[in-house]
Amino acid sequence: MSTSHSIAAKKFLENQTYATWHDKTFWGVRAKRDKLAFELPEWERLRDKASAIKRHTLTNIDMYLEMFSEAAEKNGVEVHWAKDAQEFNEIVFNILKSHNAKKLVKSKSMLTEECRMNPYLEERGIEVVETDLGERILQLDHQDPSHIVMPATHLSHDDVGEIFERELNTEKGNHDPTYLTYMARLSLRDEFLTADAGMTGANFGIAATGDIVVCTNEGNADMSTSVPKLQIAAIGLEKIIPDYEALSVFVRLLARSATGQPSTVYTSHFRKARPGADKMHIVIVDNGRSQWLGDPQHWESLKCIRCGACMNTCPVYRWSGGYSYSYFIPGPIGINLGMLRNPKEYSGNVSACTLCLSCQCVCPAKVDLGTQIYKWRQALDSYGVANKEKKMMVKGMDMIFDHLSVYNAATACAHFLNGMGPLVNNGLNPWAYAHKMMKFPKKPFHKQFEDMEKNEK
Amino acid sequence: MSTKKDIIDRCRANIRERLIRPTLTDLNPTVYDDPLEKFISQAQVMGCRVERAKSTDEVDAIIKKVYPDAKIVASSLPYVKSASLNPDTVPDAQALNGVDVGVIRAEFGVAENGSVWVMQKVKERDVCFISENLVAVMPEHVVSNMHEAYGEVSFNDYGYGVFIAGPSKTADIAQVLVMGAQAARSMTLILIPDL
Ligand code: SF4
Repeated sequence: MSTSHSIAAKKFLENQTYATWHDKTFWGVRAKRDKLAFELPEWERLRDKASAIKRHTLTNIDMYLEMFSEAAEKNGVEVHWAKDAQEFNEIVFNILKSHNAKKLVKSKSMLTEECRMNPYLEERGIEVVETDLGERILQLDHQDPSHIVMPATHLSHDDVGEIFERELNTEKGNHDPTYLTYMARLSLRDEFLTADAGMTGANFGIAATGDIVVCTNEGNADMSTSVPKLQIAAIGLEKIIPDYEALSVFVRLLARSATGQPSTVYTSHFRKARPGADKMHIVIVDNGRSQWLGDPQHWESLKCIRCGACMNTCPVYRWSGGYSYSYFIPGPIGINLGMLRNPKEYSGNVSACTLCLSCQCVCPAKVDLGTQIYKWRQALDSYGVANKEKKMMVKGMDMIFDHLSVYNAATACAHFLNGMGPLVNNGLNPWAYAHKMMKFPKKPFHKQFEDMEKNEK
Repeated sequence: MSTKKDIIDRCRANIRERLIRPTLTDLNPTVYDDPLEKFISQAQVMGCRVERAKSTDEVDAIIKKVYPDAKIVASSLPYVKSASLNPDTVPDAQALNGVDVGVIRAEFGVAENGSVWVMQKVKERDVCFISENLVAVMPEHVVSNMHEAYGEVSFNDYGYGVFIAGPSKTADIAQVLVMGAQAARSMTLILIPDL
C-alpha cells in the first residue's frame, strides 16, 4: 500500500533534472537562512523567546482576543468573527456587497486559501485579483501555491514567460525575469487603480494596539490598501500576539527564517482606515483553531508563523514538491495542520517525513514538527489508515526487539543476508522500495563494542 | 453568524494550562558600536542609495542629481521645492499614479536591517508605494535592532506606520532578484544631522 504522497512523489521524481533543480533551489534558501541566523549570536535565544511568547499567548488567547478586538474597535475598525470557512466567506462577501464592490485586490494570505475564498467570491460576481507576483502567476494559470512563501517557485522563467504571453500579451519568447516582472507590474498597477476594495492577510495582530501587521517584499499589501476605498484584513486567531515587545522578536525571526533577509522590505502596521476611506474591517477566523488548542499532543502547531523554513530544509519536500502533499499547505507544517484538520482525509502525508528533524531545528517558533509527525504516525491505527504490510512487519520487529535473546541471535546472523539482497529487498517488503539494501557487518555492533573495550584494557 | 463570545468561549474551554510570559531581559540582542555606520551599509545591501546632507536646502539638488530625468515630484515637505504634487492635497490616491519621485520623511533607521520607520503624515500614503522612486529624508538617528526600534515607534491619528527597507523586490520568477515589483523601484535615503 503506497501513500498518496509517495505515489505523487514518484511522479515528481520521474524528471530528475527538474527534481535536482527543485532541491537545489530550496536548499539555497535554507543556506541563506543559515547565513543570516548565524550572524546573530542571540539567534537560539530568540527562538526560545518566540516559542515561549507563543505558548503564553495561545494559552491566554481568550484574553488577548478580547484585548485585540477592543483595541481595534477603539480605532474605529469593525471586527467580525467567523467560526469556519463558510462564515468567513459570507462575511467578506457581505462587506463587499454592502459597499457595492466589484473588484477586490488582495495580498497573499494562506487563510483565504484555507477558506477557498476566491472561488466563493468569484461565483458571486466579484473579480478577485491576487497582487503578490507569485500568486498572480498562479492565478493566471489556474494553479494553487506549491509553497507558502514562494508560491510559484516550482515554475521556471520559461513557464512564467509562456503564461504571460498567453494572459498578458507579453513579447513572444522574452522570458527574462526582469522584463516579466515589469510587465506584471504594469498590469497590476491598473488593477490597484481600479479596485473597489483591498484585502490583506495578517502576519501578526497586536492585542495592545489593534494593529494588523503585514510583511511583504513587493509592497503589494500596501498598494492594495492605500489606493482602494475599502480595506479588509483576514486573520487567523492564532496570529494575535501581545504587543510590540513580542512583535520585535517575531519580525527579527520571520524574514531571516523565510528567505534569508534581515527584514522584509515592508513591515506595515494598519491601525485605522485611511482618511476619506470607508470603515476598515478585520475578520477573525477560528475554523478549527479553538479546537486544536485543546489537543495536548498537537496544539503547539498553532505557534507557526508561516515562514516556510521547514519546507525549504525538508529533504522530502525538496525532492517531492508542494503538489505531492494532499493538504493545501505542504511540508512538515502542512502534514501536521492537515492531520489536525482531518486525519482520515490527510493521513496520506504523514509518510512524507524521514524523521531527520531538520524542520524543528530551523523552525523560528520551535514547533516540534517531526516529533509531532511521529506521534501522528503512532495514532494512524486509530483512524484505520495504517499501512497493513508495515504493520505486520512491525509486529515481527516488536517480537525481535522485545526479546533480547532473539535480537542477539538475529544480529549475529544478519550478515548471512548480505548475499541475499534480492530476497529481502523485494516487492513484498514495503520499505525496500527506493532504499538501498544495507550491508550487515560480520560482527554485530554489540560484539564489536565488547572487543574494542577488551583491546583498550 | 458566530459572535465574539462563541469563539472566545470555545478557546477558553480548550485552554488546559495558562503559561507565563517570558521576559526579554536575558536576550542580550546584538548592539553595534557604530549603529549609524552599520545602518548605512545595511541600507545599501537592501538596495538603497545613501546621501548625506548638511541641511534641507540640499535636498532638491540631491533629487536632481540622483533622478535627473524625473518629471513629476510629489511631496508635502516644505523644503522640496521641486514638488509639483502634494499628497496632502491631491483629490485621491489615484492622482499620485505616474509620480516619478515621492519624497517623504522617515523618523529613524534600524542598523540590523537597514530599514527606516515611516509614520503616515500625509492624507494619501500611497506616495510611499506608487511613486516610481522613493526618497526618504531622515535625521541621523539610528537604533541597533528591532527591540530598540519598537521602543521608538510613534503613531499619530492617521494610524499607520511602516518600516521600509529598500526598494520593492521580488524573486518570484525563478528566484531571480528583481527590484521594483509593485511599489517603488529605487530608494534613496538623505541623512541630515539635525533634522
Ligand atoms: S512550522 Fe515553523 S518553520 Fe514551518 S512554516 Fe511554521 S514557523 Fe516556519
